[in-house]
Amino acid sequence: MTMFHFFNCAILTFGPHAVYYSATPLSEYDTLGTSVKTAVVYLVTALVKLVCLATFLKVSESDSFDPSQELLKALIGFVDVAGLYFALTQLTHRNISQNHKFQAVGLGWAFADSVLHRLAPLWVGARGLEFTWDYILQGLEANANLMLSISLAALGSLMWLRKNKPKTLIPIIYACAVIVATMPSITSYLRWGLGWHLPEVVGFQLFTSLAMALISWQLFSACQRPSA
Amino acid sequence: MANAAEGRRQVLESVYSVIALVFILVACVELCDASTVVDVYRLIQYDISGVPFGSRVASLNHHAGSSLFAPGSDLSRTVVILPLRELNETFIREYIEQGKPLGGLLLLLPRIFRSENSETVGGYGDSSDKENMKKLLVDLERRLIHASINYPVYFAFEDEDLDTVLADIKRNDAAGQPATATTGGYKLIVTSPTPKKLASPTITNIQGWLPGLKADGDSNQLPTIAIVASYDTFGAAPALSVGSDSNGSGVVALLEIARLFSILYSNPNTRGKYNILFGLTSGGPYNYNGTQKWLRSFDQRLRESIDYAICLNSLGSGEKGLWVHVSKPPENAYVKQIYEGLSNVAEELGLEVGLKHKKINVSNSRVAWEHEQFSRLRVTAATLSGLSVAPNLLENAGGLSDNREFVSEAAVVQSVKLVAESLARHIYGQQGKDVNIFADNSSLAVNPSYIRSWLDLLSRTPRVAPFLSKDNAFIMALKKELANHVVEVNLQHDVLDGIFTFYDSTVNTLQIYQVASVTFDLLLLLVLGSYLITLFSFLVITTRGVDDLISLFRRPPSRKVKSV
Repeated sequence: MTMFHFFNCAILTFGPHAVYYSATPLSEYDTLGTSVKTAVVYLVTALVKLVCLATFLKVSESDSFDPSQELLKALIGFVDVAGLYFALTQLTHRNISQNHKFQAVGLGWAFADSVLHRLAPLWVGARGLEFTWDYILQGLEANANLMLSISLAALGSLMWLRKNKPKTLIPIIYACAVIVATMPSITSYLRWGLGWHLPEVVGFQLFTSLAMALISWQLFSACQRPSA
Repeated sequence: MANAAEGRRQVLESVYSVIALVFILVACVELCDASTVVDVYRLIQYDISGVPFGSRVASLNHHAGSSLFAPGSDLSRTVVILPLRELNETFIREYIEQGKPLGGLLLLLPRIFRSENSETVGGYGDSSDKENMKKLLVDLERRLIHASINYPVYFAFEDEDLDTVLADIKRNDAAGQPATATTGGYKLIVTSPTPKKLASPTITNIQGWLPGLKADGDSNQLPTIAIVASYDTFGAAPALSVGSDSNGSGVVALLEIARLFSILYSNPNTRGKYNILFGLTSGGPYNYNGTQKWLRSFDQRLRESIDYAICLNSLGSGEKGLWVHVSKPPENAYVKQIYEGLSNVAEELGLEVGLKHKKINVSNSRVAWEHEQFSRLRVTAATLSGLSVAPNLLENAGGLSDNREFVSEAAVVQSVKLVAESLARHIYGQQGKDVNIFADNSSLAVNPSYIRSWLDLLSRTPRVAPFLSKDNAFIMALKKELANHVVEVNLQHDVLDGIFTFYDSTVNTLQIYQVASVTFDLLLLLVLGSYLITLFSFLVITTRGVDDLISLFRRPPSRKVKSV
């Protein structure tokens, strides 16, 4: 019965990645290599982030929200953006179109994040007898994270790869990218600074990631038009 | 080309083995993540001459239920959580005495019966409520001890966590959906091996002397007065049987009397012409088995030198008056002497002391009072007790309800004064005279703080003899304390009467898990499946168009299975 619950949570956490890969043209163009490479980049990025956090952050005894520390954390969070930049610009795997590249990168990024952050707690926790909503919420969070990662990759590819984009859209693209990149800090602020409960935070994450995904989609298709 | 393939295969194999190793390691990780973990105390399990009594099972793994179950429903896979105040006669009769099947029983005791907070006296409920609870508990304990129960029975104390769990369960039960494997709820788990027999339980008696002043010749020639109290307890939960009154109060009184007379006997001018023998005996609940073995170990001369013995028993509830229990008729000169000595002092103290005569039936193995063991060996003896009637076997032996909350320190102080004063008048030949040797505010006054601290200690220490090892810290403490006042203190180890057999596993931890039902998991799977299918269709439509989605279904089913 508890194995069953673990199975359910695993489906919720990792299923969307697989569905995304198989449902979109990604699978037809065999972009798995790009995703795997991105995952490796994510691992390295996470390592760098850990080292930075360990070096610059003070260990706080309490769970309280310290603005300066959080600001530092948010700055270190931009290491992610650097990692994504590297993955988008430096990785060349065959000749896949920009259109598919950012999706493959975003997917690999989100999947690596899920495996790294959610697999172990899921295995340890969801198999226990005790039932909590936490692991279901965590699965939903993984979904939101997938959307955010792909949005960020889309915006990144707009910023760094596309040369001829409408001038009017450039500030919007940058603003959106900043918002998406700071989303982890924002949720952390809601959780620890304002004391929101986990369901509320996850709801917020789902809502904002959906909104950001829609916006980046619109931006992307808007940039697509003139070139097409 | 072939070499490259070979090399890749080797790499892959090594990767697989590493992955397998990681999975094996991870599978070993088992964390205790229960929502609530509480200490629970198991109902005692014992045999008398091979006849089983008490709870015969220790491990527990069932869903929880409350007292609101529908009458006649099958509870053989349910652990009923029952606060003491909700206990009713029908339940006791059906499930405890008639042995209807039950998954398990968790009895919640009110906080006042907790021995750890024995110092925080008062502040809980009104006294009539307290007395009612005590009466209920005494009755319940009596029936539990004498029943043989084929499911695990545990005691726990009410606390916030358990209260919320119970409230949840009640809400569930009231809604008409009792918890089983399909509807979820709480699961109670106690992992415990099958209880094992305790190999030859030992009992330990402690004795000490205050030698009198010898005129000339051996001190053994002097007559001896014995003060005896049994210190061990018996109750429904061995780990909770602290016995503040029975017989913690007797032990405290004995220690204080030893202290008072040690002051008198340390000065040659006030050393009496009697030896005083102090005995802390074990095995009290089992027909005073320890007392019997202790007396048997005396040689004939010593036994004959005992003038009389006073056994102290349950003095803490004796505010209403004390009883002198004897087994010789009241007309007997020695009995008269003891009783008159005590009642004279009692009158001055404003206490009432009654005399009760109960003949010994030698063919009956039951020994209700400690003095009867003396009487059987023709030694004059009396028991001073707050109880007016002789208790049955294993009853009134310091069980669940007998804790600090119900023992009055003042009553113990009064009893100490009574015994010490009458003893002193006898020793110094002052019978019937109005002397006050242990007057308040003198250097020989009874020390209430000494009594309080020992009463507190005893009220925190469970003392069921089979579960006390030979060199138990508490026994050593008693020995040391007695050695502070009297000389020639020694321990006597013996084996408890063979007809009693006890089983271990008295304290366990109960884990309470909140579990989801199978139906919930199935429903969740259904929801997740439809979510993924919707997501798939949505993505296909937005990225490739509706036609592609439709064409997907026209393809051979093998392709579809692969993609989902």
